[in-house]
Amino acid sequence: MTATEIVTPPAPDPGATPPRRRAALRRLRRSPLGIAGFAVLAVAVLASVLAPVLAPYSPAQVHFDAPFQIPGTVGFALGTDDLGRDVLSRILFGLRASLEVGVLAVALALVVGVPLGLAAGYFRALDAVISRFTDLMLAFPFLLLAVGLAAIRGPSLGNAALALGISQIPGMIRVVRSETFRLKNLDFVAASLVDGASDVWVLGRHVLPNALSAVIVQATVAIPQAIIGESVLSFLGLGIQPPDPSLGTMLADAQQYAAQAPWTAVVPGLAIMLVALAFNLFGDALRDALDPRSSR
Amino acid sequence: MRSYLLHRLWQSAVTLVLATIVVFLGVRALPGDPALAFAGEERDPASLAAIRERLGLNDSLVVQYGKFVLGALRGDLGTSTRTGIPVSTMIGTGLPVTIELSLLALLVAIVLGVTTGVVAAVRRGRPAEWFANALALLGLSVPNFWLGLIAILYLAVGLGLFPASGFVPFGEDPVANLHHLVLPALVLGTGIAAIVMRQTRSAMLESLGADYIRTARAKGASPRAVIGRHALRNSLVVVVTVVGLQLGILISGAVVTERIFGLPGFGKMTIDAVFQRDYPVIQGVVLVTAAAYILINFLVDVAYSLIDPRIRVAGGQS
Amino acid sequence: MGLSLIARRIRGRGAAALAIALAAAVAVGCAPVQQAAGPAAAPATDSFGTPADPAAVQQGGTLVMALSAEPDMLDPTQSRSLYSRYVFQTMCEKLYDLDQNTRIVPQLATALPTISPDGLTVTIPLREGVRFADGTPMDAQAVVTTFQRNLTMAGSGRKSELGPITSVEAQGASSVVLHLSAPFAPLTSALADRAGMIMSPAALQQLGDKFGTAPVCVGPFKFEKRVAQNSIDVVRDPNYYDAAKVHLDRITYRIITDASIRAANLQSGDAQVADTLSTQDVPALRTAAGIQVLQSNSLGYQGITFNVGNVSGLGNPVGDVGTPLSRDPRVRRAFELAVDRQGLVQAVFGGLYTPTCSPISPDTEFTSDAAQACPPHDPAAARALLQEAGVPVPYKITMIATNTPDVLRLAQALQATVADGGFDLQIQPVEYSALLDQQDRGDFEMLQLGWSGRIDPDNNITNYLSTDGGQNVAGYSDAALDALLTRARTSTDQAERVRLYGEAVTAIHAADPIVYLYRIRNFTGVTAKVSGVQVFPDGVVRLAFAGLTR
Repeated sequence: MTATEIVTPPAPDPGATPPRRRAALRRLRRSPLGIAGFAVLAVAVLASVLAPVLAPYSPAQVHFDAPFQIPGTVGFALGTDDLGRDVLSRILFGLRASLEVGVLAVALALVVGVPLGLAAGYFRALDAVISRFTDLMLAFPFLLLAVGLAAIRGPSLGNAALALGISQIPGMIRVVRSETFRLKNLDFVAASLVDGASDVWVLGRHVLPNALSAVIVQATVAIPQAIIGESVLSFLGLGIQPPDPSLGTMLADAQQYAAQAPWTAVVPGLAIMLVALAFNLFGDALRDALDPRSSR
Repeated sequence: MRSYLLHRLWQSAVTLVLATIVVFLGVRALPGDPALAFAGEERDPASLAAIRERLGLNDSLVVQYGKFVLGALRGDLGTSTRTGIPVSTMIGTGLPVTIELSLLALLVAIVLGVTTGVVAAVRRGRPAEWFANALALLGLSVPNFWLGLIAILYLAVGLGLFPASGFVPFGEDPVANLHHLVLPALVLGTGIAAIVMRQTRSAMLESLGADYIRTARAKGASPRAVIGRHALRNSLVVVVTVVGLQLGILISGAVVTERIFGLPGFGKMTIDAVFQRDYPVIQGVVLVTAAAYILINFLVDVAYSLIDPRIRVAGGQS
Repeated sequence: MGLSLIARRIRGRGAAALAIALAAAVAVGCAPVQQAAGPAAAPATDSFGTPADPAAVQQGGTLVMALSAEPDMLDPTQSRSLYSRYVFQTMCEKLYDLDQNTRIVPQLATALPTISPDGLTVTIPLREGVRFADGTPMDAQAVVTTFQRNLTMAGSGRKSELGPITSVEAQGASSVVLHLSAPFAPLTSALADRAGMIMSPAALQQLGDKFGTAPVCVGPFKFEKRVAQNSIDVVRDPNYYDAAKVHLDRITYRIITDASIRAANLQSGDAQVADTLSTQDVPALRTAAGIQVLQSNSLGYQGITFNVGNVSGLGNPVGDVGTPLSRDPRVRRAFELAVDRQGLVQAVFGGLYTPTCSPISPDTEFTSDAAQACPPHDPAAARALLQEAGVPVPYKITMIATNTPDVLRLAQALQATVADGGFDLQIQPVEYSALLDQQDRGDFEMLQLGWSGRIDPDNNITNYLSTDGGQNVAGYSDAALDALLTRARTSTDQAERVRLYGEAVTAIHAADPIVYLYRIRNFTGVTAKVSGVQVFPDGVVRLAFAGLTR
């Protein structure tokens, strides 16, 4: 589901100078778990990009004579499903779809949420309107929105990403708004305003760069949420549509014969878990690296 | 304090009205009309027209909305187009199921989350912390419906420890009722427990490092008292906020959990109503959900201001 | 705080997480709960169940049935869903019923209707001394009230089923006369369904269009309560005219929409009867001790409908869709030849469903060799036909289908099988309500949907393929077929009707506006704890006279 985790805001950063970023990068490099997370992600991305080359079969290729082959069967390293499709090939392509949804959803949340969050935190007059808007979105069950979108525009990968992205917007707005609000009241921003800098300049030059850490961290938390969210939507029949696989649709399909062929449920479930875990590990390390204070 | 509450009330009312309008227009933007969805495979143009008339779909949107609002004010949410059962009756039977499920899930989340969070903060650098952290990470990384499937497969069908699905009202048989809800509550609660755990841990770390805790320690307070009376109490502010924020997740999560475990709850009712284009039911449930969300947020704010009086002073901008 | 400390903390955290993940994976992955069922399915033999032996069942007790979908309104006039008929079976008897050979037999009537030689007057003799559940008498006047409601109520689902009835009158207390403007052969079969359920005039008076919230009919059981999306309870009705045949005190219909969970409830004994078992669960349940699986072919079909002439929506004149698929029967013929029905049913439903090429059930007395004729699976011929029709091969077509797991599995298997025959099938899943909308508007090239089926072939063909059919979503219009169907509907000679419907099927195969694929089989699980549950080809689970075994 799409949890909105509150991210601990990183420390104020008056300078936002390159050396500080380099320091963060150095800290990140020294975090074995962050690196492990990153490595898993890199492998996942590479595998999904190279899926057409790596996959032994097309993900939709059925083998009516070989349904429910157990993993390790010659020719089907991870077994086959009810229609005799190669689970390994489907995992590779499914991974691609799941990552796409995750990235697209969070990109949407960033594009909409960051400007609105900046505006809400910076301009008091806009805050009331934008906060009402976020309240409204939070009061509205996100699943209803996803179901509605699927009904209006047909269930698809893009619409799943849209629904998930929209559901991430309030969380993004809240994080950026509170960061902005805090930064705005810091001395160096106030000083800049006294010097006659325009609001837009202050937002662009001082606030946004300093809020960036919080945004990046929020994004790394949001992507695995979106990936899990995709699997939930697919489970309800609202996600990417067959014969294209996603990790979520594979799980949903497997539900019917999970007792008969457990691997069809276990393999995609593990894949989702690994990717989400990798994102979370990487996100944690990133947060610690960007904000040494939080890891006292 | 009073003006703060009034301000919050006003904001809540605006949100509620907006939510009803959004949902009212939203359901009417869905393709497929309720008459068609109701008639299904047994339809003919004449009776479709009659059904549309009966459902009031030929009225203008303004008239339809007016009827909905006036009815809602009198406590009449209409009747389901599909089953003919009054929406208020349906909500009356569905809502308690979801509330019970959510409360049990929250209980799981808080007990699990706060305990592991405190342990992680207090036992920093020890295996206990690693274990608690690992659990939290896993909780964040596993889709809860998958957990549900696995639980049904192995604990219910395989070992026969719990019923695979179904529901018995608490009033009928409390033991059977709880027995049916153990697995759903665990499945729904664990994801939220992970979030609660992380928040508790970081809040505890912050409190433990604060001056007044050092002072308390210096004064010779026992470690148990320091953790329990001082640090945890202060960390609870954060926990309450997080729990409040999780309500949306709880409701959406309940949809999936109810569906997997076949619980006749509010969430399942909502999704089914959307699929069947049962306008009165959709409108009714969204109205109640939005009202509940707003009410709970309001209560969280009040609870917040009771736990930490400074909030009241801070007012609207928090 | 040194960096090494952070590193150590994080390392510990992640290592533990990975260890747990792996442990979970191993535990879960390596322990299948039950053995996979072998691919070879037992040949389909019908098993309708037997009536309860009074000596072997006890008096009293509650039976729980796991019902696969929530019924809609429990109002015989307004109901539109198949599942309400399951519940009606125990509380709303009909003028006529079916036996296991799908022959029509009297229920509240005492004999089959007498039809005048011109076919315009139908007289129905009624059982005497029958009382509704509210104690009021069921007489000819009550039957007239029911007919009038079915014929005139806005939104009545029965009006079209009753055909050209112009008036209804009581003839004494125990006989009813229907006057028609044209002969209408399917009438008797309609009276063996919801149109034949007689409602208490007193209850109608009191509840009006809310009759479904507390229905009162004649039945072995009477309505007690309904909890939305959870359950419906009926209790024994002391007013029932044949109360000695009733053994149970109460029947609880518990709504469980997930097939595997229905099966689990059956196995755990929480339910004694479950309908619509999944083909995934049937093999295991058949061999399970203490569970019997009843089965019969459904009267309906699943098939493919092509958009042949639906250009401006249902109810509007048909036109030219403009695609080779709509214009050239050879392209549709090629599709029919490309489909491997047997392979499809084997792959998707474990061979448990029955391939079909006909809208007419082979289990009814309307079947004939002509009605069951089936084009062979011949991908080479399909390709040749496509080439002959001058379309690019592979020919790309888009099919809309509901986004439910079973349908999507079917669609994917279909996609794979027709590829050999030269079709590039694109699947466009839509939600059920949206699909109905899209098909009525004519916004599709090809769609997958079925029909639950009725006994009389007229109900299974005319609505869908006659020019003015209420559900002619294909936009099909063929004067010759229309004439055949009209003759068949108005004929009162059974042998002639059988012959005409055989000709109609031949005509349909010549143009292929609909390609019939398979019939589902009704699988109903019954535990050894109950006796006397029966399921006939209409799919309705008959619980009224069942009992708990001693």
